[in-house]
Amino acid sequence: MTTTLSAPSQPTRIPRPWDARTQRPAGNRVVKGIIKHAVLLCVLLIMLYPLLWMVGASFRPGNQTFAGLSLFSDTYTLQNYADGWSVGNLNFSKYFVNSAIITIGQIVGNLFACSLTAYAFARLEFPFKRVLFGMVIATMLLPQHVTLIPKYIIFNQMGWVDTYLPLTVPHFFAVDAFFIFLMVQFIRTLPTSLDESARIDGCGHWGIFWRIIMPMSLPAIGTTAMFTFVWAWNDLLGPLLYLPSSDLWTVSLGLNSFLDQTGQSTYGTLFAMATLSLAPIVGFFIASQRLLVEGIATTGLK
Amino acid sequence: MTKPRSRRLLAGAALVLGVALTSTACLNQGPAASSDGQGEVGGTIQVAWWGGESRNAKTNAVIEQFNEDFPEVTTETQSADYAQYFNRLNVQASSRSLPCVVQMQDRQVNDYVKRQTLQPLDDMVASGAIDTSKIPPAVLDGGRGSDGKLYFIPYGIAWDALMVNTTLAEEAGVGAPPESWDWDQFVSYVSQAKDRLPDGTYAVAAGGEEQNAFYAWAVGQGIEVFNAEGQLGFTKEQLKEYWSLWLDLQEQGIALPPDMSAEEPPGADQGYLATGQLMVGVLPGNSLYVSQQTLDGRDGGQLQAARYPDGPAGIGNILVASGFGISSNCDNVPTSAAFIDFFTNDVDAQVAFAADNGAPTNTDVLDALTAEDSELPDLKRDELEQYRAISEDNPPKVNYPPGFNAVFQQAFTRNYNEVAFGRLTLDQAVDSFFNETNASLG
Amino acid sequence: MTLATATEPPVALPTTPRRGRGRTQLLPALAFLTPWLVGMVLFTFGPMLYSLYLSFTRYDLLSNPEWVGLQNYALMGSDPRFWKSVGVTLTYVVVFVPLLQVVSMLVALLLNSRLRFLTGYRALFYLPSLMGASVAVAALWRQVFGADGLVNAVLGLVGIENVGSWVGDPARALGTIITLNLWAFGSTMIIFLAGLRQVPRELLEAAEVDGASKIRRFFSITLPMMTPLVFFNVLMGTINAFQSFTGAYVVSGGSGGPVDSTLFYTLYLYERGFTQLQMGYASAMAWVLLLVLAVVTGIFFRSSRYWVHYGDES
Repeated sequence: MTTTLSAPSQPTRIPRPWDARTQRPAGNRVVKGIIKHAVLLCVLLIMLYPLLWMVGASFRPGNQTFAGLSLFSDTYTLQNYADGWSVGNLNFSKYFVNSAIITIGQIVGNLFACSLTAYAFARLEFPFKRVLFGMVIATMLLPQHVTLIPKYIIFNQMGWVDTYLPLTVPHFFAVDAFFIFLMVQFIRTLPTSLDESARIDGCGHWGIFWRIIMPMSLPAIGTTAMFTFVWAWNDLLGPLLYLPSSDLWTVSLGLNSFLDQTGQSTYGTLFAMATLSLAPIVGFFIASQRLLVEGIATTGLK
Repeated sequence: MTKPRSRRLLAGAALVLGVALTSTACLNQGPAASSDGQGEVGGTIQVAWWGGESRNAKTNAVIEQFNEDFPEVTTETQSADYAQYFNRLNVQASSRSLPCVVQMQDRQVNDYVKRQTLQPLDDMVASGAIDTSKIPPAVLDGGRGSDGKLYFIPYGIAWDALMVNTTLAEEAGVGAPPESWDWDQFVSYVSQAKDRLPDGTYAVAAGGEEQNAFYAWAVGQGIEVFNAEGQLGFTKEQLKEYWSLWLDLQEQGIALPPDMSAEEPPGADQGYLATGQLMVGVLPGNSLYVSQQTLDGRDGGQLQAARYPDGPAGIGNILVASGFGISSNCDNVPTSAAFIDFFTNDVDAQVAFAADNGAPTNTDVLDALTAEDSELPDLKRDELEQYRAISEDNPPKVNYPPGFNAVFQQAFTRNYNEVAFGRLTLDQAVDSFFNETNASLG
Repeated sequence: MTLATATEPPVALPTTPRRGRGRTQLLPALAFLTPWLVGMVLFTFGPMLYSLYLSFTRYDLLSNPEWVGLQNYALMGSDPRFWKSVGVTLTYVVVFVPLLQVVSMLVALLLNSRLRFLTGYRALFYLPSLMGASVAVAALWRQVFGADGLVNAVLGLVGIENVGSWVGDPARALGTIITLNLWAFGSTMIIFLAGLRQVPRELLEAAEVDGASKIRRFFSITLPMMTPLVFFNVLMGTINAFQSFTGAYVVSGGSGGPVDSTLFYTLYLYERGFTQLQMGYASAMAWVLLLVLAVVTGIFFRSSRYWVHYGDES
């Protein structure tokens, strides 16, 4: 509590509403806080038990992976990590790089294309707007499995199979309607008064988009980036179809290769590499959630 | 972002789409050009197989040896787990972009034969491009489609078998299973074991849902599982008799209950036999070694492969063939044929492959792997010896019709369990099974 | 506002040309929409129309499609497994969607409060949804809901024994899939959390000064301000629930088992299309789902003007 109390004295810090409240008499606030943390930790322990178990199992010797429900075991080994890392005719460092290329491509593409599209739908007037927006929504209503084949045929005709192009290029053309819709909804929570004043100051649409809407939509941008990261990173079907050659494999394909229903599966190494593959996503989350937290709280004051 | 630019883009986009869809519409079947596989070996081929990392490593080792023998060939590899492998294969087939060399199994080859997705290999065998002289004819037949032509060259054979945890069997007082037995003896063997097995351990797997156990039962009685028209060759009464046998065993707590069976993870090395919770399992004979490895980690006892109960018509253990074929859209047949020939017959390469996907069909390879100086683990060698014994016993072949892989297997398991879970009566489930499968087979 | 709604078009988008000198903004709109239009033509529309065409054909992927008219649509009516999948999916939608929204909102509120280690908590609550469709999930779920799993071990501690398998029992398997998908509530929560950050603090503070209780502040200020995102989450949650696939696919090994108890609509569609090689039938199923979802979405949009408040219409 002491650090929080001293916070307002930092001169450069932007005053936050809650800073005022911490100056009130603490009373049973501390007790309340402890209870809150205890409850949260209990819930988290239950929720995360399967994941903790997986991490624990990844440190067990290979033939004891499923040796019990406990998080701990008698012997610990790093063998699974060593074996898993060097799997295949490449190894996981290459798979991580491949996954990163695709993921970054998709994030950049989605942020670029979906935000432009969303601005048009949220803030501009044009003919057939409702029909076109209906089309955006309609693309989400058809199960993706039935468009797999025609898409594959098109990419195959374009000679894109066995390259990263089918997994990245379409995202620069706003194929993820989910994010268009998300950003439209976000932008529409913003009051139009700011647009108006910018217009009076002589801003064009690009100026309003770039200087008003985008900074105000940081939470939406963070969310889009985060979701794209998770989806791209975990995607199995796309890489399976479009990256058949093993030197283009992604992390998800690498993980899949630990399982073999017609031979031998190595769950120990699977768990080890699955644990490692979570690390970049968690890192990205912590980085991108700064956007969520700062969002309007800071930029709204401009 | 100016208007003319967007117009150009749109026009370009429309053009690309038009081209893509017209060329799709023009994709034609094109009858598989029959080739004798002779010609210059070189260029690039793609090789695709199913499996996990351990098989990938072994297959890659073989491919390396192939590339040493044929340095002018570039080999591109594609692999995925069994289910994903076939999903991708079908998508590739939809745009006629299959890899040249594709791995096949007799259980689904007729789906591809029927749609002319594979090239017949008979001429290549006749011309000597692919040598099959070291493969026993009955084993080679596993690679034939329902039209009698050869569509893949079997290199590895799995065989249906029972697997017994002899340590548990000793504890239960029934001892190791006999050399050969009939179904009555089998039932009394597992029934006697039941009472003295530890808690949470079951005497036998839920065989009612296992199509392989059903083949063993049916074939042993001389029943043809699929008839010449590719429809079910057994009667509803026969299926009822078989399912009743297992429903009784489940009801008495001898066989694994249906909910436990439903949650059993896939893969022989993960199943209840491998975790020591099962005394008799129903598994491919070539999974003895991997099951034992998991069992060792749990100190769970010793496994031994056993013969299926014989019926009045003889042996019930069926062979399942896996091997490589050549896709119709392949434009480098001579090199593909050379690869298949090498993969199937090169003794050094196959010794390195270590019978990873079933027993080797080439008898020289089998001899080398079972020889005194072989580096195979003892248990793996036992597997191969069992295969040798079964293959010399003239085991029957099941001719899987098109649609088998898609429907039969799932419908068999599901409809049996509808009864086991008490959601359908036996009569209803058998009717439903016959309706579902006969509509899709052939 | 309420008077005006009666004459408004069904899809709730800003239509009143109050801005921009009273005319449409076609040129800037075209500029902003160019990437999307190109993508629509190139990558989206063609495949969608092709699948519509396929739904009138018999198509096994390996040979060319063969026109059969409405046969695929007619067959659905008499397909018992089709109706089973409809039942499973509807049950799932009705149970899962409300649960997901409530849980996500509650946790988002909790994580929007003044608390230490917030960043850490948020990351931890989000963690399960990062696992996504990982192949490891199937194994983990057996560890939790198997006959010898965690749940039964805990039940055993309090004296409840011989419960049997949860994932393996057809009466309970759907429940485990609901739990699995609920476990990954993180993405819905994140959107709520981002929305909560958008609510201007001045408003909340003003209300607090006026003596409004926490609950009252939530229902009269926070929630109304967030309705566009609530609308988004509920609508997307519903659409995704109708199309739910991955959880059941991974846990049941693609079979929808035991005995079809987790046979979701799209799982059955997938089995028909890719395992049984009946892509025509699968496409027909997909277009039936599209029509149903179009109606559902239409109802959502129509209802939205009564309860969704946008910042651009105040």
